[in-house]
Amino acid sequence: MDKRDPYRHNVLTSGHRACSGCGEAMAARMVTDLIGANAIYVNATGCLQVFTTHNQQSSWQAPWIHSVFANAAAVASGVEAALRARGDDTPVIVQAGDGGTFDIGLQCLSGMIERGHDILFVCYDNEAYMNTGVQRSSSTPHAVRTTTSPPGRLSEGKHHLKKDVLSIIAAHHMPYAATATVAFFHDLKAKVEKAMTIKGPRFLQILSPCPLGWDHDASLSVSVSRLAVETGLFPLVELENGEVTSVMRLKQQRPVQDYLKLQGRFKHLFNSTSTAETATGNANGAAEIRHLQALADARIRRYELLQAETEWDTVRASQVQRHGRGGYRNTGQEAAS
Amino acid sequence: MNGLVIEPGSTLAYHTGDWRTQRPVYRDKWPPCGQTCPASEDIQAWLAYASDQKWEDAWRKLTERNPLPAVMGRICYHPCELGCNRKQMDSAVNIHGVERYLGDMALQKGWRHKPITDTQKTQQVAIIGAGPAGLSCAYQLARRGYPVTIFDNQDVAGGTLYSGIPEYRLPKSILAQEINAILELGIQLRLNSNVGTEISMDALRNDYDAIFVAIGAQQARVMTGLDNSSHSVMAGVDFLRAINTGKSIQLPNKVAIIGGGNTAIDAARCARRLGAEVTVICPQEPHGTQPGHPGAEIPASLEEVLQAEAEGVRLVYRAGIKRLVRSGEHLSGLEIARVDRLHNLQGDFKPVLFEGTEEFLPAGFAIFAIGQEVNWKGLEAVIEKPANNITVGGDAAGKPRFAATAVGSGFQGAMITIASLTGTPPVYEQHEKAEITVKQLHLPYYPAVIRNESAILERWKDNVELVTGFNEEVTLNEAQRCLSCGVCFQCDNCWHFCPDAAVIKNDTGYEIDYDYCKGCGICAQECPSGHINMEIVTT
Ligand SMILES: Cc1cc2nc3c(=O)[nH]c(=O)nc-3n(C[C@H](O)[C@H](O)[C@H](O)COP(=O)(O)OP(=O)(O)OC[C@H]3O[C@@H](n4cnc5c(N)ncnc54)[C@H](O)[C@@H]3O)c2cc1C
Ligand SMILES: Cc1ncc(C[n+]2csc(CCOP(=O)(O)OP(=O)(O)O)c2C)c(N)n1
Ligand code: SF4
Ligand code: SF4
Ligand code: SF4
Ligand code: SF4
Repeated sequence: MDKRDPYRHNVLTSGHRACSGCGEAMAARMVTDLIGANAIYVNATGCLQVFTTHNQQSSWQAPWIHSVFANAAAVASGVEAALRARGDDTPVIVQAGDGGTFDIGLQCLSGMIERGHDILFVCYDNEAYMNTGVQRSSSTPHAVRTTTSPPGRLSEGKHHLKKDVLSIIAAHHMPYAATATVAFFHDLKAKVEKAMTIKGPRFLQILSPCPLGWDHDASLSVSVSRLAVETGLFPLVELENGEVTSVMRLKQQRPVQDYLKLQGRFKHLFNSTSTAETATGNANGAAEIRHLQALADARIRRYELLQAETEWDTVRASQVQRHGRGGYRNTGQEAAS
Repeated sequence: MNGLVIEPGSTLAYHTGDWRTQRPVYRDKWPPCGQTCPASEDIQAWLAYASDQKWEDAWRKLTERNPLPAVMGRICYHPCELGCNRKQMDSAVNIHGVERYLGDMALQKGWRHKPITDTQKTQQVAIIGAGPAGLSCAYQLARRGYPVTIFDNQDVAGGTLYSGIPEYRLPKSILAQEINAILELGIQLRLNSNVGTEISMDALRNDYDAIFVAIGAQQARVMTGLDNSSHSVMAGVDFLRAINTGKSIQLPNKVAIIGGGNTAIDAARCARRLGAEVTVICPQEPHGTQPGHPGAEIPASLEEVLQAEAEGVRLVYRAGIKRLVRSGEHLSGLEIARVDRLHNLQGDFKPVLFEGTEEFLPAGFAIFAIGQEVNWKGLEAVIEKPANNITVGGDAAGKPRFAATAVGSGFQGAMITIASLTGTPPVYEQHEKAEITVKQLHLPYYPAVIRNESAILERWKDNVELVTGFNEEVTLNEAQRCLSCGVCFQCDNCWHFCPDAAVIKNDTGYEIDYDYCKGCGICAQECPSGHINMEIVTT
C-alpha cells in the first residue's frame, strides 16, 4: 500500500505505464482521488486499463475490476445490483475511454441508465482509440488526423463530425450528466463531488488530452485542455434531467487556431496539400479551420457560453490561491477489503 | 487466505523515473522587487508571511535587511514597486504600505530585535554618523556580537532623517522609536561628538579595530556667480534643519525656492506651512514630458510634487536664476530666465540660460536647494590613506543618495567590516538565486485585485502626518496581491496536475518523487510563479 502522500490517497498510484504527460492518467487520478478508495471501480478495456495493470502489477489502491471493451456498464450494473441487494451502498464507478463509451459501450451504457442503476459512469474522452494505436472513434473531431483518417491528397483527416454523446445521454432523462476537463480542476472537483451526492445513473465526460494521439508536447496537456474550453470547442456544462442547469462562461473566446496549432493531429490544416472535396464540401485546410471555428461558434451559441448569467467563468475557475483552494478529502481511508 | 486469490503486486515496484530525459526541480528565484530595493530586502518572503497574517515573522524577515521599516514605509521612494512584476498585470503591489504597517505594528507591540549569535566578539567597531547608514551598519554588527559605538556630532540621532525630513512626512516619534529599538541591541551612542575636530581620527584608529564612516552629505552646495550677501537667503538643508529642530522662523509673504530635488520640494512645503506664497524655480521639465530621458525631468518624486501642488506650491519649470534683485540689503525678488541646456560645455551640471528671456519674480526670501556635498573636514585621511578596516558608506560614499540606499550600504559595510576583522571574504547571501521576469509567470492563474492606496489627509496646514497608514484588512489584501514571483506559494497546481503522482505534498511543501517522475514538464509549465525548472538529465 502506497502511503507516500499524507494529503491524498493515490487511488491510482505511481509506476503506471501511461505515456509521459498523459491527460487520461491525470484525469483518472483526479476523479478517483476525489471519490476515494471506498468504492468499486469497473474499467472497460482501453489505455487506462492497460497502463494501470501490467505483469501482475496494479496501480489501483481500491477495488477494481476489468470487464471487456463493450460491457463495463453491464458489469457495473450487476455489481451495483448485488451490493444493493445486500443493503450495501458502496459507490460503483465505471471508467471507460471514448471508444468504450461513444461506440462499442454505448448500448450497455444506455441500458444501465434506462434501468436506473446507481452508478457514476466516467468517460475519459481522448477522442480516438488510443490504446490500439490512434484509430478514429465517433468522438474524434472533424478534420483530425488519425491512423484510420490520414490526411493526404484526397482527405483533410476525419470526414465526419464528433458525436454529441452528451445529448444522447441526457435524452435518457437521467439525474446528472456533465462535462469537465483537467485544466479546470476546481470545476472538475465540484462536478465529481456533486455527482457523488446524487443517487441513480450519472455521467461525466472528461476531455483528456493525449500527447501521443493528439501529437502535442507532453508538457502541454493542461494548456491544450484549457484551450479546448476557451475556444468553445469543448463546452463545460451540467445537465439535470435533460435540462442544461449550468455552464462555465467564457470570459473571452479564443480563436480555434490557438488550440489547433499546438497539436500535430491538426497540422495538415496549416500546410494543406489536398485538392479533394471533403464530405462537408470544403476543399482545403483553411476552409476546415473555418469549419471548426463555425462548430465552436455554434456550441457557444447553443449553450450561451458568452452570455450565461453566472459568476463561474473561465477566468474565475482558473484562479489559484496561496495554500491551495482545497484538494482531496479522502486521506486516511483504506481500500474496502 | 483463500488459495484462489492472487495477490497482485503494485506498479510501485516499477520505477518509471527511468524514462526521464529532463527533470523538474523546485528552485527559489530572486524577484525584481528584491533586486530593486536598495536595502535588498527579501520582499517576497516578508509579504508571504504577511499574507498568512504572520505579522511578527514578516517583520523579522524584513528587518534582517532593514531595521527601519516604519521609517522606510513612509519616506522611501519605493523603487521596489517600479520593479514589481505585478505592474505588468494591473499595478504594482503597494509594498511600502505593507512595510509601514509592519514597522508601526512592531513599535506598537514592542517587538525587540534579536541577536543572531550568542557569542560576544571582542573586536570593537566605531561608526561615524548616526544616520540610516550608520544605524544599519551598527545594527548588523551588534546582531552578530560586535561591540559598536556610534559617534554623531548632533544632539539627536537619525542624521538627515531627523534634520532633513519634515514632521508631516516622518513623525519624529516614529523615527526615535525605531532608533531606540536598534540601540537596545547594546549599541553605544555618543552624541555631540564631532570626529575630526573634537575626537581625532587617529584616536579612533587606536581605540577601535575597524571604522565605518557614514557622515552623509550635509553641506549645502553654494551657487556661484551671485552676490555674497547672506541676507534673506538660506540653503535648503539649513532651512529644513532649523524647522526640524524647532527653531522659530519668520518668513515674508513671498518665498522662492531654487532647485528641483526633494530638498527643494520639502523646503517649499515647509515654507507653505509657515504661511508663505511659494514658487519653486526648477531647471528641468515636468514629470512625464521627457520619456526615456530621466535626467531631463524634475528629480523630485512625482508623489511629492503632486502633493506640493495640491498644497498650493507653484512650480516654474525649465527656469534658472540669473541674479538676486536687492534694494539695499533687502531682497525684492529674483531675475529668472529660461533654461537652454542643463549642462555647461565642460559637462558639469550648470544650467545655461537663454538671453532675452529674463523675468522678475518678486520674493522676500530665497532658499537654495541645489545639492549637498560631503564635509570631509578633519577626516581627509579616510580618503587619502585608505585602509581595509575603514569603510565609507551611505551618502558619503556617493550617489544615489536615498535612505534605503544608505541602509543597504550599512549592511554591506557591516559585511565588509566583518570580513576585514576575520580575514574572510564578505558574505552577501541570497544573490546566487536566478532572477525571474514576468515572462516566466503564468498570470491568468492569479485573481485580479485592485491596488490599495493610502489616504492623504486634507488638513495639510496642521503639520501632522499627511499620509495615513493601512489597517489590518487592507494590509492583508495588499500582501496577498503579491504574485510570489519565483517562489512556491503552495497553490497545489503541480500536485494536482502530475499524471504520475510523482509530486508529494507534505506539511512544509512539495517534493518530487524521482522514482516515478517521467519528466513530462507539466508541473513546470503550469506553475504560476515560475518556481519549477526543467533541467536536462545528462547521465
Ligand atoms: C531634505 C531631504 C529630504 C530627503 N528625503 C528623502 C526621502 O524622502 N526618502 C529618501 O529615501 N531619502 C531622502 N533623503 C536622502 C536621505 O535622507 C539620505 O540619503 C540619507 O539620510 C543618508 O544617510 P547617511 O546615513 O548616509 O547620512 P545622514 O543621514 O546624512 O547622516 C549622517 C550623520 O553623520 C553626522 N556627521 C557628519 N559628519 C560627522 C562627523 N565628522 N562626526 C560625527 N558625526 C558626523 C551628521 O550630523 C549626521 O547625523 C532626503 C534628503 C534630504 C536632504
Ligand atoms: C470487442 C473488442 N474489440 C476491439 C478490442 C481492441 N481494443 C482494445 S482497447 C481498444 C480501443 C480503446 O479505445 P478507447 O475506448 O477510446 O480508450 P483509450 O484507449 O483511448 O483510452 C480497442 C479497439 C477489444 N479489446 N475488444
Ligand atoms: S525600503 Fe524602499 S525599496 Fe525597499 S521595500 Fe521598502 S519601500 Fe521598497
Ligand atoms: S509580485 Fe511580489 S514577488 Fe513579484 S515582484 Fe511584486 S512584490 Fe515582488
Ligand atoms: S508533472 Fe509529474 S511526471 Fe511530469 S515532470 Fe512534473 S513531477 Fe514529473
Ligand atoms: S505549482 Fe504551485 S504548488 Fe507547485 S511549485 Fe508552483 S507555486 Fe508551488
